[in-house]
Amino acid sequence: MATVTLKDVVKRYGAVEVVHGINLDIAHNEFVVLVGPSGCGKSTTLRMIAGLEEISDGDILIGDQVVNQLPPRKRNISMVFQNYALYPHMTVSENLGFSLKIASRSKEEIEAAVQDAADILGLDELLERTPAELSGGQRQRVAMGRAIVRHPDVFLFDEPLSNLDAKLRTQMRVEIKKLHAKVKTTIVYVTHDQVEAMTLADRIVIMKDGHIVQIGTPLEVFERPVDTFVAGFIGSPPMNLIDGTIKNDTVVFSDGRSVPVPPDFSGKVVDGRRVVFGFRADVLMPKGHTLAESGVLHDLDLTIDLAEPLGSESILLSSFGGKDIQARMHNPRPVKGGEVLSCELHLEKCHLFDAETGQSLRG
Amino acid sequence: MPSRTKTVLIWIVTFFIMLIICMPGLWIILSAFRTNGEILTKPAIWIPQNLTLDNFRAIFGFGENVVGIPVASYFRNSLVISITSTALALLIGMTGGYAFARYSFPGKKPAFLWLMLSRTVPGIALSLPIFIIWSRLGIIDTKFGVILVFTAINVPFTVWLTEGFFRQVPNDLNEAAQIDGCTRWQAFWKIEFPLAKSGIASAGIFAFLTSWNEYALASQLTRSTDSKTLPVGLMDFTAQFTIDWAGMCAMAVIIIIPALILTFLVQKHLIAGLTFGGVKG
Amino acid sequence: MTRLRRTIRENAVPFALISPAVLIILMVVLLPLIFSFYTSFSNYRLIRPDSLWDWVGLRNYKRIMGDWDFWVAFGRTVLFLTVALNLELLFGLGLALLVNKITWGQRTMRTIMMFPMMFSPILVGFQFKYLFNDTIGLVNNGLQSLGLTHEAIPFLVDRWLAFFSIAFAEIWMSTSIFAILILAGLFALPKDPIEAARVDGCSNWQVFKHITLPFLMPFIYIAMAIRSLDVARAFDIVDVMTGGGPAGRTELLWTLISRTAYDDARMGRANAMSYVAILLSIFFTWFFFNKLMEARKHLGAF
Repeated sequence: MATVTLKDVVKRYGAVEVVHGINLDIAHNEFVVLVGPSGCGKSTTLRMIAGLEEISDGDILIGDQVVNQLPPRKRNISMVFQNYALYPHMTVSENLGFSLKIASRSKEEIEAAVQDAADILGLDELLERTPAELSGGQRQRVAMGRAIVRHPDVFLFDEPLSNLDAKLRTQMRVEIKKLHAKVKTTIVYVTHDQVEAMTLADRIVIMKDGHIVQIGTPLEVFERPVDTFVAGFIGSPPMNLIDGTIKNDTVVFSDGRSVPVPPDFSGKVVDGRRVVFGFRADVLMPKGHTLAESGVLHDLDLTIDLAEPLGSESILLSSFGGKDIQARMHNPRPVKGGEVLSCELHLEKCHLFDAETGQSLRG
Repeated sequence: MPSRTKTVLIWIVTFFIMLIICMPGLWIILSAFRTNGEILTKPAIWIPQNLTLDNFRAIFGFGENVVGIPVASYFRNSLVISITSTALALLIGMTGGYAFARYSFPGKKPAFLWLMLSRTVPGIALSLPIFIIWSRLGIIDTKFGVILVFTAINVPFTVWLTEGFFRQVPNDLNEAAQIDGCTRWQAFWKIEFPLAKSGIASAGIFAFLTSWNEYALASQLTRSTDSKTLPVGLMDFTAQFTIDWAGMCAMAVIIIIPALILTFLVQKHLIAGLTFGGVKG
Repeated sequence: MTRLRRTIRENAVPFALISPAVLIILMVVLLPLIFSFYTSFSNYRLIRPDSLWDWVGLRNYKRIMGDWDFWVAFGRTVLFLTVALNLELLFGLGLALLVNKITWGQRTMRTIMMFPMMFSPILVGFQFKYLFNDTIGLVNNGLQSLGLTHEAIPFLVDRWLAFFSIAFAEIWMSTSIFAILILAGLFALPKDPIEAARVDGCSNWQVFKHITLPFLMPFIYIAMAIRSLDVARAFDIVDVMTGGGPAGRTELLWTLISRTAYDDARMGRANAMSYVAILLSIFFTWFFFNKLMEARKHLGAF
């Protein structure tokens, strides 16, 4: 059973603390994605699990074993690096077999394992090439192959797709997901791309400034962000966030317009409280383009500045409550700039956050 | 000007410059195969009358006109001193260069700077105190004494070059190897060293050439047949009554040949090493 | 104290790895230099070992400050370096630009260009001593055979001719370092800014001045920095060509040190001179190293 447990893990470089005592339990065979903006400590955390960085305080356990003092080679992990880190002076098959060779396995055993990995990842044709002769996607596959050859307890991925172009990235994302289904191993995956996090993860860990902000399934973090940071970070386009004040069970904005307090939050806020009102583009729709069949809907008139047709839908840019906001039109038709559309806001899917702390007021 | 004419013109000018570069060396080589008598003749004889290997035989102590200069011993000394000091400088410089490339530690920048600055001390200025101290220690005029000095003067540059080559090997590879089950030491030998190998080799050749060609220090620290190197030995000729130009030329050829071969071997890496180390800080 | 201990423990591996390098430099360069610094305040003469303890304070420095021969040698050294380094840069730049233009036989030209780098300075000195010799030298023989002169030209005896001959040897030896590094810079030159400049209507000269040259500057400074490490190699050349003579006419700082120390056996005074020479070398290196660092920042813009 390869669980991974982090207990109050701290990382300091000299006097500077970059990871502030994080706690995390990762279950056997779970796919966990650490996501956050650059500098949030996600890569450092991964490297501490790998043993490439010493931990300054706390404990890291793999299975039941505290691995704080163990060098990387004794942790039975494998890792896929951002730049693939293939050994340039070895062929693909030598790259794949390297870890087994170091472990002094027999030649037959190595060959069989390499063949196995090559079959899984479709590398058969490439075995005799050197990394320099491979394309970006192929290198990526070899890097994954090298990771699975030794049947590790835990797979670590450090932004593995960030060097690929958009199309390949989508393709490799699918392959990673399939790979997880096939080899069934605990995976810790680091990325700054929330789409990758949403599509791949069993659970997402959102980090900021060396703290864990929220842990949850993709749906949880999408639907119930704990604060404005998560709300702005997860989902595309990002959540619309507008400053306002509570008055008679409505949220009043700086331009004088207002909306009712969403049902989930009624009774949790008092008059005069300064809040941030949040909603996603998906829940503000022109009439006739609504997907919600029932629920509490609030009518709004919006002056559209610009429409971005994406084919299956259009993103509408407008301003509301003194902020630029985005709405979504699900059955697109041409919209002119300046056109006024009457829209509906799906109030049950809206959020309130504290204006000072940014914390959700859901309670 | 039509571009064709221009191209030809540029080519001719360059060719002429190359001639100036090659001429002195070629003249020395030619003179090494002529007789001293012919060289001294006035007015000058331009077309050599008979080319001979006598000069080489003479300086190595064969044939009739034996020169009183033990070139064979000097050659052996030069070889022993250069090879040993190169091996030592490589070993010391490589460990140092690796540390500078891979680790961060307090005092790293000043340490690197001071190491490089030590290289700027003119050989002749360094020779004075070393001459006195080595005399006291009893290692003056010994191969060991010279090897020690040559190793030290080669270390800074070897550190600079190897640091550059190790830095070009991404640290990811070292980490990947550790995750693949290597100890730090195995990761170095199996991954990083093979990748920096050719660069390290050229650093070694550069160190060898520095030792092979050094004069200012060697001329003060060696006195006898047991320790004198070839460049120092070349000056023996000037002490004689009539200068044996042909013999000197032959000896010059002996000095230049190993240098020539080695430089050709590393020219590519050498330029890369110098520029990468400098430009891509 | 405990803090120092902790620092050492936390960085044990890198400290252990650099210690051999630091140790040998300490033993063979730093300690001797400290020793020579001490002797520069003594009346130490090689022939009288006990004079090592004869402390004379600043007398050696005062003496050389008032020593006309020393200042002439110093001035000549600075002049020599200025002339040599500037011409080497100029010729190196020209040569690199020429070779860069050539398509046919470029590889061979580049190899030939490296030729002088293989020569030890002592060989360069010998080579030009031979070529410039007044009776049997190639240059004199050539000029006489062509009927351009009937008298032997005393290249290594006349004050200015000797200076010229030595500078010629130095330049012959070191131009290739500049040429090769500048050529490496030319190969790395990005095409886009040049094409953009041409589209903007720049002439060849303007492109060179505003695009090519600024890009080459870091390479030029590397060459300068590498070169300045070795300025004292000129000692070898002068020592074999003229030995600083005749009558001190080609004396450079380094040959003067050598003569004062080994011929006159005045170690104390020679060490005082050495410190002037060391400071000169450090100044040159420091100057170009700083320039290199500055230029490297600008290079980021490309």
